[in-house]
Amino acid sequence: MEFGFSDEDLAFAEEVRAFLRAHPPERFPEDGMDAGYGSGPHSRAFLQALGSRGWLSMCWPRRYGGQERPMIRKLILLEELGAGGAPFGPLAGCDQVADAIIGYGSETLRREVLPRIARGDATFWQGFSEPDAGSDLLALKTRARRDGDHYVLDGHKIWSSHAGIADYGLVLARTDPAAPRHRGLSMLVVDNHLPGMDVRPIRSMTGRVYHYEVFLDTVRVPADYLLGRENEGFAQLLRGLDTDRFWGRFYKPPSMRRILGQLVEYANTTKVSGAPLAHDPVIRRRLAEVATDIAALRMLFYRVGWMIERGMPVSAESPLAKVMADETGQKLMALAMQMLGAYGPLRESSRWSRLGGQIQHLYQASLGHTIAGGASEILRTTIATRGLGLPADRARPSGAA
Amino acid sequence: MDFAPTPQQQILTQSARAFLQQHCPPERVQALALEPGGFAGDLWKAMATLGWPGLLIAADLGGGSGSALDVIALVEEMGRACLPSPFIPSAVVATSMLAAVPASHRVGRLLSALALGDRIATVALLEESGRHDAGAITTRGEAPGQLTGRKLFVKDAHIATDLVVIARGGGGVNALVLPSDRPGITRLPLDVMGDEKLFEVRFDDVEIRSEDLLGAAGLGADLLTPAMRLGALARSAEMVGAAGHILDLCVEHARVRVQSGRPIGAFQAIQHHLADLLRDVEASRWLVYDAAWRVAEGLDEAPAVATAKAFCAEACLRVARRGHQIMGAVGYCEEHPLHLFHKRILAASLDWGDAALHLETVARSIGLA
Repeated sequence: MEFGFSDEDLAFAEEVRAFLRAHPPERFPEDGMDAGYGSGPHSRAFLQALGSRGWLSMCWPRRYGGQERPMIRKLILLEELGAGGAPFGPLAGCDQVADAIIGYGSETLRREVLPRIARGDATFWQGFSEPDAGSDLLALKTRARRDGDHYVLDGHKIWSSHAGIADYGLVLARTDPAAPRHRGLSMLVVDNHLPGMDVRPIRSMTGRVYHYEVFLDTVRVPADYLLGRENEGFAQLLRGLDTDRFWGRFYKPPSMRRILGQLVEYANTTKVSGAPLAHDPVIRRRLAEVATDIAALRMLFYRVGWMIERGMPVSAESPLAKVMADETGQKLMALAMQMLGAYGPLRESSRWSRLGGQIQHLYQASLGHTIAGGASEILRTTIATRGLGLPADRARPSGAA
Repeated sequence: MDFAPTPQQQILTQSARAFLQQHCPPERVQALALEPGGFAGDLWKAMATLGWPGLLIAADLGGGSGSALDVIALVEEMGRACLPSPFIPSAVVATSMLAAVPASHRVGRLLSALALGDRIATVALLEESGRHDAGAITTRGEAPGQLTGRKLFVKDAHIATDLVVIARGGGGVNALVLPSDRPGITRLPLDVMGDEKLFEVRFDDVEIRSEDLLGAAGLGADLLTPAMRLGALARSAEMVGAAGHILDLCVEHARVRVQSGRPIGAFQAIQHHLADLLRDVEASRWLVYDAAWRVAEGLDEAPAVATAKAFCAEACLRVARRGHQIMGAVGYCEEHPLHLFHKRILAASLDWGDAALHLETVARSIGLA
């Protein structure tokens, strides 16, 4: 049992830090809103910079252009990017799709899409939720009909993060309406530029666009762009769910640590009634408490990663870490708003704003986290039933996660 | 990063768990809680045969030359069984202080006796202020000299053969090791919620000899500080074990307690409580083991220990309190073990610095002015 890193891994961490010093985040154009998960804004240019270092594919099998590096390298990359405030918003989505294509994609997908992902030239939106299918994802109705060499998609997806600026959607659709709800679903990689794709922005409460709704009207997707097997989409989704939640949140602890550092600096240099805010015992204690929460989260996430690498099931551990990460994020941002006082609501463009006017944005953004990717209420039930072996509530419909 | 225990650690943990399940079931803990003495001498002897009190003592003095990780894993099992014993004050804190000074005949003999379980040590630190910092010490004691004063909250003073007394000398803080039967020492039990045996210890013109001084005069804090950190970490491990057991009790209860035609574990409210308990236990556990690893590796452990103790103090108490809610009325009875575990966690949360004290360490470690 040990919690250190090898010399090579430490050297890689320093390599990433040196890269970030040479390519500061501010230099990269921002294409899409920072949703506050710790991966910063969506920046295609930054993704391409990572791609040019080979870092987007470094853990892939060699036959797909990777270097078969151990998973710890990816963890270190994410930790340093999160700690450094880098704009790597689309990264987790790219990783998720790449792993799925490598695992069970067609040769066409492996040939046509993987290299683009490796270069940072392909980003993805997740097409799962629909207006009537959120926590009850199995209620989804988007239809995919096989027609010769294509699937024809008709339907309506919503809460699709960054769909308007991404290249492809990973769309979960019903290929067999006669089958039970959890069967008969398939996953398809859908090019945003296909005819029939109507992608409309949704303004979030932050004032910026983050989510989109996507109307699919007779969209013809090549059959080779089916991911995995027809009618096994939900099983594939479930298999990937725990790892996907992990990759989408692993970088939250280092990112929160970075924000905490900004708050400490603010507390040390801001005077309230003649004394630094750092000497206010309430603020001091709450900052220290959230520091302990972040430290605990970092350990929990490394443990989930360690378990995933060993092929151990993480059906309780992964949702547990996600819930705690998102609730801690809300606690941190609420504390930050409290510390800023009257300055808290000032936005970026105000000359009087403090900490770049970012706290109000991240505070608002954090509200969505306990809803997205598995609402905390659902996940607590998952932890109890799949993790602690408690009986499912008989009032719930069968076949749900 | 490797979250798996080594084979030796697994053997230690599994054998400890089996031993404690057999020899320290909840009924025994409850019976000892109701006894004023509350010390299972036979159990202590058996633990000595297993090498537990000597785990942190060097092999050439009869100990096990174990690491901080070994001790922490063992103490987690003790917490899981709610074992009442002087292990932490004696085999962790006092032993660490004794083992840190240059070897002397007297100290070596005492360490060997501690390893055998023949002698038991405890630490007399807190005074009326109830604070753990050196600034709170007013009891004066020089070696050689006389000691007059009072210590409070001294754990297991009644069974301790040796007292490590923290006193103020001319040059600073002195750590004095006194046999507890030296004339002038009176040990008065405190009436405490729970089964921890805490004492007021009065010193009336107690003779202090030169050889009673541990380490250099005025530099007792140098010995005490790292030992207290290890004590705080051990108490954290104890809290994790106890909280883990509460979680197990609650999960089992949720499975078998039937109301309205179904086990209460089928209700979302109960499920959500239990998910939070799992979070609190797991988050606490890995902070403790990370800190223990740092101690074992000789890395700077102070922020990690403070982080672990502060987090555990709050999280494990949450587990205890929420555990009562889940267990319902039956958990309110003295006969049910839940309260023993709750009170153990409460006592542990206070020992070697409460959350407030350790959060101040964390505050400084994150750079707060």
